[in-house]
Amino acid sequence: MTMNDAGRAMRNVRCGGAMRALGIAALLTLAPALAAQNAPAPATAGSAGTYVVRGATIVPVSGPRIPNGTVVISGGRIAAVGANVQAPAGATVIDGSGLFVYPGLIDSGTQLGLTEIGSVPGPTDLQELGEFNPQNVALTAVNAHSELIPVARANGITTAITGPRGGLISGQVALIDLAGWTPAEMAAQPRAAMVVNYPRSRAGGRRFGPQQSESEQQEAMNRQVRALYDFFRDAKTYAEVVGRTEGRNGGRANLVMQAMLPVVRGEQPVLFDVDAEDQIRGVLALADTFGLKAIVRGGSDAWKLADELARRQIPVIVGPLTRAPAPDEPYDAIFANPGALARAGVKIAFQTDNASDSRNLPYNAALATAYGLDPDVALRALTITPAEIWGVADRYGSIDPGKVANVIVTTGDPLDVRTTVTHLFIRGELVPFTDRHTELYDRFRARPKP
Amino acid sequence: MPDKSTMRAVTTIAMLLTMASALPAQNQPAATQNGSLAPYTAPIPPAGRLVAITNATIMTASHGTIENGTIVIRDGRIAAVGANVAVPQGARVIDGTGKYVIPGIVDAHSHSASEAINEGSNSITAEVRLTDVLRQDAINLYRELAGGTTTLNILHGSANTIGGQNAVVKLRYGLPVDSLIFEGAPPGIKFALGENVRRTNSPMLPGRERRYPFTRMGVEALLRDAFTRAREYQQEWKTYETARANTRRGQPAPLPPKRDLQLDALVEVLDGTRLVHAHSYRADEILMMLDIAKEFGFRVASFQHVLEGYKVADELAASGSGASTFADNWAYKMEAWDAIPHNAAIMAERGVRVSINSDSDERARRLYQEAAKAMHYGGVSEEEALRMITLNAAWQLGIDDRVGSIDVGKDADLAIFNGHPFAPGSRVEMTLVDGRTFFDRSTAHTLESVLERQAPRQPVTP
Repeated sequence: MTMNDAGRAMRNVRCGGAMRALGIAALLTLAPALAAQNAPAPATAGSAGTYVVRGATIVPVSGPRIPNGTVVISGGRIAAVGANVQAPAGATVIDGSGLFVYPGLIDSGTQLGLTEIGSVPGPTDLQELGEFNPQNVALTAVNAHSELIPVARANGITTAITGPRGGLISGQVALIDLAGWTPAEMAAQPRAAMVVNYPRSRAGGRRFGPQQSESEQQEAMNRQVRALYDFFRDAKTYAEVVGRTEGRNGGRANLVMQAMLPVVRGEQPVLFDVDAEDQIRGVLALADTFGLKAIVRGGSDAWKLADELARRQIPVIVGPLTRAPAPDEPYDAIFANPGALARAGVKIAFQTDNASDSRNLPYNAALATAYGLDPDVALRALTITPAEIWGVADRYGSIDPGKVANVIVTTGDPLDVRTTVTHLFIRGELVPFTDRHTELYDRFRARPKP
Repeated sequence: MPDKSTMRAVTTIAMLLTMASALPAQNQPAATQNGSLAPYTAPIPPAGRLVAITNATIMTASHGTIENGTIVIRDGRIAAVGANVAVPQGARVIDGTGKYVIPGIVDAHSHSASEAINEGSNSITAEVRLTDVLRQDAINLYRELAGGTTTLNILHGSANTIGGQNAVVKLRYGLPVDSLIFEGAPPGIKFALGENVRRTNSPMLPGRERRYPFTRMGVEALLRDAFTRAREYQQEWKTYETARANTRRGQPAPLPPKRDLQLDALVEVLDGTRLVHAHSYRADEILMMLDIAKEFGFRVASFQHVLEGYKVADELAASGSGASTFADNWAYKMEAWDAIPHNAAIMAERGVRVSINSDSDERARRLYQEAAKAMHYGGVSEEEALRMITLNAAWQLGIDDRVGSIDVGKDADLAIFNGHPFAPGSRVEMTLVDGRTFFDRSTAHTLESVLERQAPRQPVTP
């Protein structure tokens, strides 16, 4: 049996429809091959094998589509791509005829590895106590063996930002590949950005706590904004002292302020989780005051400031699109926001802002294409653009020789819900499509009639 | 799209006829704040007296897909559908070239349009009615129309083992609130099992007491107790009716039993005239509910959520109950930990009639995308996936003789897409209820239309 058969068989286990056609006998003969591949994929670069996907339509994202093309994956990297590429001897060959090859998709906002079951507090490491936690590093708490990670992979997500929330400064997010034995092995950009929650003037949605008057809310917000400015001012001062004395000041290190150094030096991006127009305006002012490298995430109202964001080259991570706009906004505001931003020249990427729902990342983008986002820009917003935003475009985001082999093979457009991902590589390793859901599916689909 | 000048003329005349006061020129809902009761300002669409949708791809949900087909609507009902249907003289024509028409989406689990959701003070509140708290101005209704949804099963929340009575509505957005009611739809009631009823996920606020039942065992006991009382009450009334019928002239009339509004609703369940929609997650509680229903001789019309339905699909199929589930929600609480996105496919494969619902004002805007997930996970057919948001949901609500498919005689509730409803770039262009256009993107308040009108903004000054 070729690798392609095994790959398809794995996918058939997931998908069901074709499994019927295969029959039980065929499945039994496949069992050893499947078992061999069910082992978790080691993600250490260099340990990966050599694979060739042949005869597929390759969508490199960085250049035009290559019909009937070949991709060679070796040692965890993309070794070659093109129409006339020779397969190296000894490679595992995947027949890609009728299939498509894309870069793995990147979810620019999740809580993968930091939470398991929403209502269960034990495995939930999302929100630290207190308002300022720049010293907290998400990667530390990523459970590499979370059941949610393989589920996210099922629709072609290979890489994700995962991070904390809450408070005014939540901590540092990590860009991780969705396979690996340890958090360190998964890390693609361990401290990708600092999360800052710019306060919001009106409490959104329903409130269960004590009712506050409008002026009380406004005052609470002003207090938080002042606290944020004070904190950044302190960090700036700390950086100046550290810079002037070159660490010879004999003073004691403040690890909280130490964590802010890359931020106030404009090196580490600041990820602002904001939606309302007044919040985004506040972010622009804060970023100007302290010379921050700002990224807006959420950004429901960003279309109202699209020209301004484009002029300042501030990227916007949009999503999730699966929410309703404010009552006084156009019905399609959330869906049409990405398209409006992209047409204004803003760099966009997508997030699900979820852990269990990360697999729906491409379908978020699909909703945007129905309301004015160019499908090619949508694909870029799931691949090369987030790679640029997270500072890893030299290694991620397109099918180009030398890049990390995070690659998916599909039956069609990954934005189309009807499409199936048939193969998924992370760091050059073929990762099987078995997860909690396929296991339960297989078990109960085989339940004898009572 | 329709001939705009004709449409405008028809709309104008209808508006003049039906409305005395001035109306805004655009088909634009009132900007309402959450919680406020701002008056709606949507114009009332003209009645669907004679309308033809021509040259469209028609996905009927009952008898396949018709290419280049025509639908003729007379007096709000579908009068003809097919590839060789003539357009009647004088019909308002909607050009369906390049468009896809599907039946209006039926959402079997909604809380839109209701002022309140949970009467959570008691674990049995069969006497409360969602029809008493409907509100017409909810902006969500318009947005759901904009996603092709036309019928909702508005349910009581899941705080109680036996919740309140439902309201099946049509999204006749802009008409007076009583016009929302789906006339002739069988009444229903919400039941709920599991974590929400036990209230184990909600924080214990000071002064708040635990409420019985606190375990799944208690839920079963409560149900059995309620239906035992209902049965006795039913018998009391039967005894009374018999005694009254047999009362001879001159004899004193027997005294009627005390009217109990809670038990009245449960007697209707026992009589099979009120449909039970049972919120459920785990396989064990689904089986428990089936056993209770069997014991008291009624059918559960639909299990709602039913996330572990795939584990007991044969039992569900044998009971004749429907299953109304999420496409792929999971892991948000312990009882959703074994939820799998193949749930709909397995249940359908084993003979359960499955629908995919929203339980969300937001998700009800894109149920067509949710339905496609049944193809993705477990490979159901395109038509079966479509039925999961139309005909099957209508069947679960007992209104499949009226809505849920594009068939002659049914209500002209239709959603018109600019492409295949399951394709990534597709959106709803127009939504009709009873042949009336309640949503039309070409005249709607869209983000694009706002940008076009917008004057250049002030630059931001730090």
